[in-house]
Amino acid sequence: MPEKSVRSFRKRRSAIDPANVTFLHVSDKLSVARLVVGGISALFYLAIACIPLALRKFANMTFIPDIVIWGLPAFVLLITLWVFLLIPRQVRAIGYAERNEDLLIRTGIIFHKVMVVPYGRMQYIDVTMGPLERMLGISTLHLHTASPGTNAKLYGVPSAEADRLREQLSARGEAKLAGL
Amino acid sequence: MPDGQGPAEQAGAEQPATEQPAAGAQHFDAPAGFTTDSADSWHRVHPISPLVKGWIAIVAVVFIFGRNALESSFRGEGTGDIPPLFLGLGIGALVIVLGVGFYLSWLFTRYQVTDREVRLNTGVIFKQQRHARIDRVQAIDVVQPLLARVFGLAELKFDVADAGKSAFKLSYLRLSEAKRLRAAILARAAGVSVDPQSPHEVIEAPEREVVSIGAGRIIAAAFVSSGPVIFILSLGAAAYIYHLTQSMAAIFAMLPAVIGAFSIVWQRLVTDFNFKVAISADGVRLHYGMLETRSQTIPPGRVQAVGISQGPLQRIFGWYKVNVNVAGFGDATNAKESNRSVILPVGKLPEVMTVLQLIFPDPGVENPFEVFEAGLKGPGNRQGFVHSPRSAIFIDPLSWRYNAFRATKTALLCRHGIIFRRLEVVPHERTQSLSLYQGPLMAMFGLVDFQLHSTVGPLRPTVRHMALKTGLELFDEQAERAATARRIHNKEHWLENSAPVPSQEQIHGE
Repeated sequence: MPEKSVRSFRKRRSAIDPANVTFLHVSDKLSVARLVVGGISALFYLAIACIPLALRKFANMTFIPDIVIWGLPAFVLLITLWVFLLIPRQVRAIGYAERNEDLLIRTGIIFHKVMVVPYGRMQYIDVTMGPLERMLGISTLHLHTASPGTNAKLYGVPSAEADRLREQLSARGEAKLAGL
Repeated sequence: MPDGQGPAEQAGAEQPATEQPAAGAQHFDAPAGFTTDSADSWHRVHPISPLVKGWIAIVAVVFIFGRNALESSFRGEGTGDIPPLFLGLGIGALVIVLGVGFYLSWLFTRYQVTDREVRLNTGVIFKQQRHARIDRVQAIDVVQPLLARVFGLAELKFDVADAGKSAFKLSYLRLSEAKRLRAAILARAAGVSVDPQSPHEVIEAPEREVVSIGAGRIIAAAFVSSGPVIFILSLGAAAYIYHLTQSMAAIFAMLPAVIGAFSIVWQRLVTDFNFKVAISADGVRLHYGMLETRSQTIPPGRVQAVGISQGPLQRIFGWYKVNVNVAGFGDATNAKESNRSVILPVGKLPEVMTVLQLIFPDPGVENPFEVFEAGLKGPGNRQGFVHSPRSAIFIDPLSWRYNAFRATKTALLCRHGIIFRRLEVVPHERTQSLSLYQGPLMAMFGLVDFQLHSTVGPLRPTVRHMALKTGLELFDEQAERAATARRIHNKEHWLENSAPVPSQEQIHGE
C-alpha cells in the first residue's frame, strides 16, 4: 500500500463535512495533470484571442481598436492564472474515506459536495488511466450505482491505491450486495 | 454476423419446424393451465403480427401509388405513362415482397418462457437472441394498440432494470396468451412456483379494482392542463400583435402553438381515459387508454420512489398526480414512455392515499393520513416535518416554510414548493446514494441541499436549503437508516419465504 502518497486530511475542512471522518487526499500529481491540460487549452484560447492582433499586423486591418487587440489576450491570461491558482486547492479539496457501510467522497472549495455511496449499491467500478495519467502514475475511479445521480468520480488516485480500492470496494460490494 | 449463432441456432431451428405447429395450436386452444417451457420448446408469435406492426408501411405505399393513379386518372390520362399491366405487376410484386418479408420475420421470431428466463430470438439476416432473467423483472405491460385490439392481439412488454433501454417485447400474442405469460412470469419472479402436484401450472392472481377515474374527471383534467393555458396565451399574443400590425400573419404565426395546445389536451385524453388502479398478489396493476389500451403491472418492491404533485390549476379542484420511479421505465424522453411512470393522472386526496397504501403497505408511522396530508399541503412543522430555517427566506422568500422533510421508520418524505407542490417519498431500502451540496450563497446563509439518488426516472428527490446542522444530521442518519433497511429487505423474490400470499383485505388494510 503506497502510504507515502496517501495522506490524511487535516486542514481545510468544509462546513458540510461529516464529523468524525478522516478523509484521505488524492495524489498531488493530479494538479500536475490538470495544469498540463489547462496549459494546453490556455495556449489554444490564447491563439484564438490573438487573431485580432494577427489581422492588424498581417492583413492591415487598422480599424480594430487597441482595447480588443490587447484586452482579449490579457483576459485569457488572467483567467488562466486564476484557474492555475485554483487547481492545486481544488485537488487538495478532493478527499475520500472508506467507512464500514459506504464510501464518502468530498469535493470543491466554493461549491462543496459530499457524497456517500453504499458498498451494497455499487453496480460496477471503472478504473481508467489516460496517457498523461499513466505517465504520472495516477488513475480515475468511477463508481456506478443504479442511479445516474451518483456521479461518483474520484480523480487522481495513485495507481496502486486505485487497484487496492477497486479490489476492496468490489469485495465489500459483494459482501453487502443488495438488489435494486 | 448473420451466421454467428452457430450450431445451437441450427439445431433449435430444425426442431420447431417439425413439431412446433402442432404444439402451438394445442397451446393456443387450451385456455386453462399454462406450463412453462423446457429448453427446446419454442413458440411463435401470432401469424398476423408483422401485418399489425407494419401496417403503416402498407398504408404509405398504398397512399403514394393510389394517389398517383388517382391523380392521373382524374386528369383523364387513364393510368398515365405506366400501362395498366405494369401497374398490376408492380402491385403484385409489392404484395409478394411484403408478404414474404412478413412471413420470414414471423418465421424467425420465436420465444420461450422457462422457469428462470424469457428468451426471444428475432431477425432474418441480423439475428438477435435475448435472454432476460425472470427474477430481475421490474414491470410487465400488456399493450394493445388500436389495430391489435381489432384482431384481439396484445404485446407483452417486459422491463428489466436498465433504465428502459432494452424492454423485451413479444408482439403480438393473443390477449389471453399474453395474460397467461404475464401471470407465469410474475409468479416465477415472486418465487412461488412450487406446487408439488403440478409444478408448472400457473394460475393468474385475481385482481381487485381499487380506484377508477370517471370519464368526466379525465376530460376536465385534460382541459385543466398546460394545453389550454398555452392556447389562451397564444391567442392573446396573436390578438395583441394583430392590434399592433393589423396583419393577418400574426394569427397564422400562432397556429403551431394552438395545434400544440390541442395535441396536449388530446394526448392526455387518449392516454388517461378509463384509468383504473387495481391490486393483485402480483402487484399494482394499472389499466388505461382510449385507443391504445395498456395494462401495466408493477410488482411489489419495484417502486423506487413516489412523487405526488399538484400545480396551481389542479389545486382549485383538489387534484393530485402520482408518479413513480421504476428501474425499467427509464427517463421521460418520449411522451409515450413517460406516461408509464404515471400511476394516478388525476386523483383526489382519498384516492391518492389509497394508491400510496398499495405501494407502501407500511408507511412507518401510526397516522399515515395526517403525515401525508401535511406532506402534501404544508406549511410549517406539523406532523414532524422539518422545514428550512428562517435564513432561507432570502433564497426562497415564499416557499421556505414549504420545503421540508420527514423521516419515518420506512421512508423519507420530501416536500417542496408553494405554487407547484410536490411530495417525494423514497423508501429507505431503495436509496442508492446520498449527497450534500453547498454553494457560496447557501454557505452565506448556513444552508445545505440534501440529495437522494434514485434510479432513472421523473423523480430526483432533493431536500432543499436545510439548516446546516439539520442537513448534516439527516445525511448521517439517512445513511444509517438506508444501511439498516438494506440488510432487512435484501431479496428479489418478494413472496419467497414469506407468509402465505396476502389476501386482498390484508393488502388493502381495511
